[in-house]
Amino acid sequence: MVVFGTTFFNFDSFIGKTDSIEVIGKSVFSYYYHNILPLLNDSDRYSLGDARRPLHETAVLVEDVVHTQLINLLQQAAEVSQLRGARVITPEDLLFLMRKDKKKLRRLLKYMFIRDYKSKIVKGIDEDDLLEDKLSGSNNVNKRQKIAHDFLNSIDQTGELLAMFEDDEIDEVKQERMERAERQTRSMDSAQYAEFCESRQLSFSKKASKFRDWLDCSSMEIKPNVVAMEILAYLAYETVAQLVDLALLVRQDMVTKAGDPFSHAISATFIQYHNSAESTAACGVEAHSNAIQPCHIREAIRRYSHKIGPLSPFTNAYRRNGMAFLAC
Amino acid sequence: MASVSRPERAPRPLAPCLTRYPPPPSPLTVGFLSMEEEETYLELYLNQCAAQDGLAPPRSPPFSPVVPYDMYILNATNPETAFNSNPEIKETSDGFSSVDLSFLPDELTQEDKDQPVMGSKHETEENSESQSRQSRLPSPSKQDIGLGLNSPSLSNPHSQRHPSDTDSVQASLEKPDSNSLPLASITPMTPVTSVSECCGIVPQLQNIVSTVNLACKLDLKKIALHAKNAEYNPKRFAAVIMRIREPRTTALIFSSGKMVCTGARSEEQSRLAARKYARVVQKLGFPARFLDFKIQNMVGSCDVKFPIRLEGLVLTHQQFSSYEPELFPGLIYRMVKPRIVLLIFVSGKVVLTGAKERSEICEAFENIYPILKGFKKA
Repeated sequence: MVVFGTTFFNFDSFIGKTDSIEVIGKSVFSYYYHNILPLLNDSDRYSLGDARRPLHETAVLVEDVVHTQLINLLQQAAEVSQLRGARVITPEDLLFLMRKDKKKLRRLLKYMFIRDYKSKIVKGIDEDDLLEDKLSGSNNVNKRQKIAHDFLNSIDQTGELLAMFEDDEIDEVKQERMERAERQTRSMDSAQYAEFCESRQLSFSKKASKFRDWLDCSSMEIKPNVVAMEILAYLAYETVAQLVDLALLVRQDMVTKAGDPFSHAISATFIQYHNSAESTAACGVEAHSNAIQPCHIREAIRRYSHKIGPLSPFTNAYRRNGMAFLAC
Repeated sequence: MASVSRPERAPRPLAPCLTRYPPPPSPLTVGFLSMEEEETYLELYLNQCAAQDGLAPPRSPPFSPVVPYDMYILNATNPETAFNSNPEIKETSDGFSSVDLSFLPDELTQEDKDQPVMGSKHETEENSESQSRQSRLPSPSKQDIGLGLNSPSLSNPHSQRHPSDTDSVQASLEKPDSNSLPLASITPMTPVTSVSECCGIVPQLQNIVSTVNLACKLDLKKIALHAKNAEYNPKRFAAVIMRIREPRTTALIFSSGKMVCTGARSEEQSRLAARKYARVVQKLGFPARFLDFKIQNMVGSCDVKFPIRLEGLVLTHQQFSSYEPELFPGLIYRMVKPRIVLLIFVSGKVVLTGAKERSEICEAFENIYPILKGFKKA
């Protein structure tokens, strides 16, 4: 199991605490990774910002959240493709579901383009790959880009979707994640850094068959095709990333800072999910562990889907399942 | 092929030329070779001399100018070559000294003529010694190769090479008895600073993709039936896939007469391989020619020998790099000048691709090396 992630190191230094790097030990999570959490391993979360040895409860909770969200997403995608009368879930269906949130859609498009570009480059390096590609027909170049472009072209009424292709704005969330990773890695030595990099390389697309089983695709009438599975793997990764981002914000909020005028109001926005005996130990300033707690995750989800604010009736059209999608 | 322009090059009596067409490009068959190839074969010869004299330069593995030497060995084992290695060397040595003389300034030529055979032999030895001395400093040799291969205007290829030889020859003639040439006499042609930054790491070529036009319609079925190591599956792909073992390459031959050759490890090997395929096609009865040989892509790789912090690199060079570790473990860096794509890995390995010339790869690596040093993971 690989752990990477050190956002939490970062945040602690951000709020003024010097952090001691946890000793790399044989983690209990490796056991869970192999047996209980087949796909959602802590490495993913470490790489996205959690502690090196995330809490088991948090891991279970995050896995649960991601699983539920993906199943719901898949079902909605199946409905959409049924509407079209198609036999498989195609990437177009997933793009359709994401059409409302421009930023996330752009991130997905960028990811698809990078995937195309990478296969183009890697193909040119190895002569065997080059031959295989020629043999399978040369319409594979930029196929994901073509799919995305053609589809968005067809559903675009106002031109804003197509404008995303030329859009070169900086993705703030991505930028923040990059900066976080950079801050984390600055203080690592090469052994830790090697571990960090290894864990970052994990993804849901590596073990595609396990991923499919986890989502219980075989029991569905309409199954996703290859590119759609790639997108789903990416969305799962994004969901974890979003959860970690939000949980870190929540945790940051919970710590009372000196001079903060709203410190008395913090408890009002933070609903305690544990009984009072646990709460101070679990959610207060940790003595031994700086990992993200399950309460942070729950609070993050609550805030994300809470119907507060003037625009809440108009955001997130996928409310009927009771859970707002983090990835789209 | 430039066979028509050969006559005016007759005054350069480098070894007897084979007049067969297409000729096997061994170092001796200069008649049908272009300028750059002759440069390479001269270099080849000099390396050969250096090795012969036992002053073998310390060859670091990524030092690719050794390749022409390898190719020479290939040709030596090529059964079609009429000569064996020793006579080849002697002939080229005589040929070399006479070529050398013709480009030296008049005074030197006069002096050399005074000492006939001994002088030329001595000069050859001095040249090879100086060459080996040059080879010990990887930079000058590399630059010589660079010069030899990259001179777009072939007007004075020898004048570029020979000043370095001339200097060393002059120095050697002044002190004929001393074997130690002052280093100052070995003048590198490009500034040393760029090389010292790279610490002498030279990217090694891994794969070359080239195309050539055989300029005649081909019957793929006939080729597939009669040629060895040929695959043809018209339902899958409309080309014959042929492979040869030496140099180990693969070719895609299309019915229009166009051919793609992949897998070679140097420009010369790619050209040699393409010629071999062309010869195979010719032997099957098609009027194959060898037009517009062009290298389409070159892939090189090297190792900077220290771990690199990719997160920092992607942040500071955002507009050029993309790093998605869950997708691909390396950072993809799109260099604008020269237009090369570099794959940079945490371990310090760098792969460069998209080059049309060797110089582009070297230049790209020289550009990226100081940047990578800045993100060295201690």
